[in-house]
Amino acid sequence: MKLATLLSLPAALAALVIASTTPSGDYNEHLHLKPLPGGHLYAGFNFTATTSLHDYDSQHFRYFPRSLAQILQHSHTRELHLRFALGRWDEESWGSRPRDGRREGGTGVELWAWVEGDGDAGVVDERWSSLVNSLSGLFCASLNFIDGTKTTRPVLSFEPEGVHRESDGRLELLHGTLPHEVVCTENLTPFLKLLPCKGKAGISSLLDGHKVFDATWQTMSIDVRPVCHRTAPREHDIDLVDTVVSSNVTTAPFQGGSNITHVQNILRYAADLTLQSNHSITQHYTLADDGSYLGPFEDEDCHLEIQQTVDMVLDIERSMRPRDDPIPRPPPIEQLECDAGKSYNSHDTCYPKPREGHRGWSLSRVFGQSVKGNCHLDGDKDQAQKYDVSLEVPLGRRTVDIPPATSITQSDFDDLEDVRQYRLPSDSQDFDLTLPHQPVPQPPPARQEQLPPLYASRQITGYGQERGSMHTTLRNPHSYAQRVVYLESLPWFLRPYMHTLKVEGHGSDSLPRLEKMYYTPSIDRQRGTQLELLLEIPAQSTVEMTYDFEKAVLRYTEYPPDANRGFDVAPAVIRVLPLHHNTTTKTNSSESRLLASGQGQYLRTTSLLLPLPTPDFSMPYNVIILTSTVIALGFGSIFNLLVRQFVLVEEVPTSPLAEKVRAVVARVREAVSELRPVVLARLKSVREGVGSAKGGGGGGDVQEPMSDGVGANGGLKPDGKGR
Amino acid sequence: MRLLSLPTPLLAAISLPSLSDATHTSNWAVLVSTSRFWFNYRHMANTLSLYRTVKRLGVPDSQIILMLPDDMACNPRNTFSGSVFNDKSRELDLYDQKPDTPTQESAEGGDIATESETSETTPQIMPAGIEVDYRGNEVTVETFIRLLTDRWPASHPTSKRLLTNSQSNILIYMTGHGGDSFLKFQDAEEISSHDLADAFAQMHEKGRYNELLFMIDTCQANTMYESFYSPGVVGMGSSARDQSSYSHHADQDVGVAVIDRWTYYALEFLETRLNSTSADVRLGELFDFMTFDRVHSDAGIRADLLEGGEEAARNRRVLDFFGNVQGVDVEMGDGGRESLGDWRADLEALRRIGERTKREMGELNVTVGAGSKVSAREAGADRSVLPAMRVEGDVLDMAASTGGSGWLKKAIGGTSLLLLGAAWVAGSKMR
Repeated sequence: MKLATLLSLPAALAALVIASTTPSGDYNEHLHLKPLPGGHLYAGFNFTATTSLHDYDSQHFRYFPRSLAQILQHSHTRELHLRFALGRWDEESWGSRPRDGRREGGTGVELWAWVEGDGDAGVVDERWSSLVNSLSGLFCASLNFIDGTKTTRPVLSFEPEGVHRESDGRLELLHGTLPHEVVCTENLTPFLKLLPCKGKAGISSLLDGHKVFDATWQTMSIDVRPVCHRTAPREHDIDLVDTVVSSNVTTAPFQGGSNITHVQNILRYAADLTLQSNHSITQHYTLADDGSYLGPFEDEDCHLEIQQTVDMVLDIERSMRPRDDPIPRPPPIEQLECDAGKSYNSHDTCYPKPREGHRGWSLSRVFGQSVKGNCHLDGDKDQAQKYDVSLEVPLGRRTVDIPPATSITQSDFDDLEDVRQYRLPSDSQDFDLTLPHQPVPQPPPARQEQLPPLYASRQITGYGQERGSMHTTLRNPHSYAQRVVYLESLPWFLRPYMHTLKVEGHGSDSLPRLEKMYYTPSIDRQRGTQLELLLEIPAQSTVEMTYDFEKAVLRYTEYPPDANRGFDVAPAVIRVLPLHHNTTTKTNSSESRLLASGQGQYLRTTSLLLPLPTPDFSMPYNVIILTSTVIALGFGSIFNLLVRQFVLVEEVPTSPLAEKVRAVVARVREAVSELRPVVLARLKSVREGVGSAKGGGGGGDVQEPMSDGVGANGGLKPDGKGR
Repeated sequence: MRLLSLPTPLLAAISLPSLSDATHTSNWAVLVSTSRFWFNYRHMANTLSLYRTVKRLGVPDSQIILMLPDDMACNPRNTFSGSVFNDKSRELDLYDQKPDTPTQESAEGGDIATESETSETTPQIMPAGIEVDYRGNEVTVETFIRLLTDRWPASHPTSKRLLTNSQSNILIYMTGHGGDSFLKFQDAEEISSHDLADAFAQMHEKGRYNELLFMIDTCQANTMYESFYSPGVVGMGSSARDQSSYSHHADQDVGVAVIDRWTYYALEFLETRLNSTSADVRLGELFDFMTFDRVHSDAGIRADLLEGGEEAARNRRVLDFFGNVQGVDVEMGDGGRESLGDWRADLEALRRIGERTKREMGELNVTVGAGSKVSAREAGADRSVLPAMRVEGDVLDMAASTGGSGWLKKAIGGTSLLLLGAAWVAGSKMR
């Protein structure tokens, strides 16, 4: 069972509900739960609020968040897509992505928007800059780092989901990613604040940062788009179809002629033309039941819709650990079930038996709390059609315990036989779902529909600080050829050599076809590389794509604080175009899948880490110190050479002041030497008079230095006189 | 003299009610952790603890600027995803405490506080969630200085700006690795105490704060506030020059130290003593709480820039900086000059002029009448009171200083001359 198909149900319900209510706005929320193989649980939260364009223009909001609306109005943004993502969706074991991958982003933060311009490129850039700055303030993310070097303008990869008025002027698509950005609780807090129930009631009360960011894979998205619906009710169920068509059909088919009368034909035509439409939708059309053109939608038919989603895959075992002690510790030996079949099994050696069947879990244990109350804002008038929680488990094979007061409805759609739907109790009771442990044999093997459209992986190969190469593998597991758009936006310091681009096919006789290529080369420090390829991948084959690149050397100040970690390269975005030949699909459900996904399916590779040559960051200081030393030495000696005069000692003229000082010194010495014999004679006489009993050794001691002193004086005296 | 002294008590009596109220009308907090990498977990825990405290005491997220350079809560190394703890008991998650889970607000805190407070203690609803304003590579010296001085490009979102005015009290808390007069940002650049001092001076000139409490927990923290020179700034640091600030304890399951000592005890004080938004706890008690036995380093304060010096700083309520004042500036309509606000302002200005003149007269009397050096010096030391007085004070100070040391110099000169003369005489006699 394809997940996307399931999710199209709430979308269809939402569309019906929107069409039938007053234009003042609407709000609904939905949680889809589905256990995945490997003990994982997929939980997809969806919150949709609308407001009529008239209310939006006059700044009258009910469910639509005012803070976001004002930003959009200020920056003239007509359609916004914002993604926060973490982790990796394991396609090999979990199958295709939820919501066709259209509500998920690459690792980190991704943002793309259609901004209104007036023909002047500078205006759009300015508005885009104002948008990213405002959003960075609103969502606590460094979105303001999306500058010119990280902004691209994809041509084929994205198309507007909304219906845009002609008066909006020329819309331009801008796309930016921050693969290095951390996604954490501070991003969830403002996300919840945008909801009417603020995470306090309804399914949003399950969203707790501790669980959301403990998930194996997690993505949060915010999508704002204008949608138009006819207010008049329709006879049959092409209401949903109408929405899709109106968002995709361009003026082109109608210029070609109005002979297209069948909705299905138009649909196919639209799918064909999605590539040519090139997101320059300027007019939207209403189709009558017979497919004839009625004219543009009136403004009152149009709403602005904000869809917020949180998709995550939780490891059930991990999520149910107690919060205060989440570290897994080995269970006590008594609780271990040993496999007695092992030869080494004994009283002290145990091989634990693998767990059999489905592990029991409940909402309150996995999410840490049960659902508090409900968030039915417009009363219970659409009770029959609104379900808050749907659980996709095999019917009949799995028992589910629910609180008695809850109304339970099982879906009566043929395709959705395994889905149970619940509506939250209208009195503010807590709601919990419990699935007890059941020793059921292994789940049946994956069915055809669960295969993802494509497997993709991307790596950096090569070694060294100078060159590297990019290696991308795309594998088509299906028995029909697929056309994909492959978008890469590379940072400017990764310079690809496009002449080395090689696309090779394996495993199939037919070769992959490179239909189109859009390439915008980078400009250092101003613009990154943008590479967009339109490829056809043959059935059951693998396509390998390689190109070499050169790593730029950054300036000293351009390195981030943790430069040695490497630089993140944004994930590649792959859009699998919708099939327009129904020959390969058999069932009716795939037809409906095609209708629901006129945009195709999206998947993204993981982000890459590019090691760049990093300098020794203490080097400048070493250089400064060394240079200073060298300069000091050089300057000192040159200065000496220039200023000083070198002469022999004899030639040095004496200064008059020194002469005078010397004369004074000489006179003093003369006087002293004249006095000395007299003093000594006196001393001698005194000593002889006083201590004749004491030996003459003392006298000799005294006399010797004295004689030295006299000798020195005698030596100096003529010298001093001579000068 | 007498003419001036007469209306002053009257004016004082009229303006007394306005003076007894808090002099500020809003509270802001700038909480900065400056270190990256997992082993600096404690710095983030420090900052988040303060964040939680100011939020608990009523400062809304819109008035808290939180700067976290790295992600610890969702770090792959963190066993406790989405959580940051500041204690090994792990009872309190700093990152996102859900309101329904029991918080650390223990009953013991209430017992310690005085009776009047316990009666007022109300269950505090701590808003859940966390809003980080600057994170990752955005946390740089440039950003920080820009934030303080409010110099931004036009597109900068208001939630990331410090929108204070001259009636705002600001709490600035910084933690990280530092040294003598500098603090490292993300191991890549430094902010010096002079940069900070100049930023605060700019803030003062632009009228961006009323009073500012600067707290810093880093090695040699006290050197960071030594070069401040703007009035109204109170500095608190964790350690003196050449001293290290230490971490308090480590959590074996988290794997690293979870909090620094100084912050730990500051928090202990704030958690136990300030358990209601009307707690009358003074800054002096917080100063005294940071003893060497607790912090293992010499925690320091600097309050000479505040009017009234340390005495005044000790008397400030802790909630003047950590709490949120719901003060209101009543601005009367354009009914003319007779409105109450204008009248008040005029009276206040008159009173100030009166005071200043009085003080000037007093000082003139002192200098002219007594002429004693001691009193003149006192006047010089008191010069921070009024800008008008500053010039005169400086002049007096200079005069006093030249007079004081001049005599000494003259005496030394005279003595040395006498000695030389004696030597000359002795020399000539010897000859």
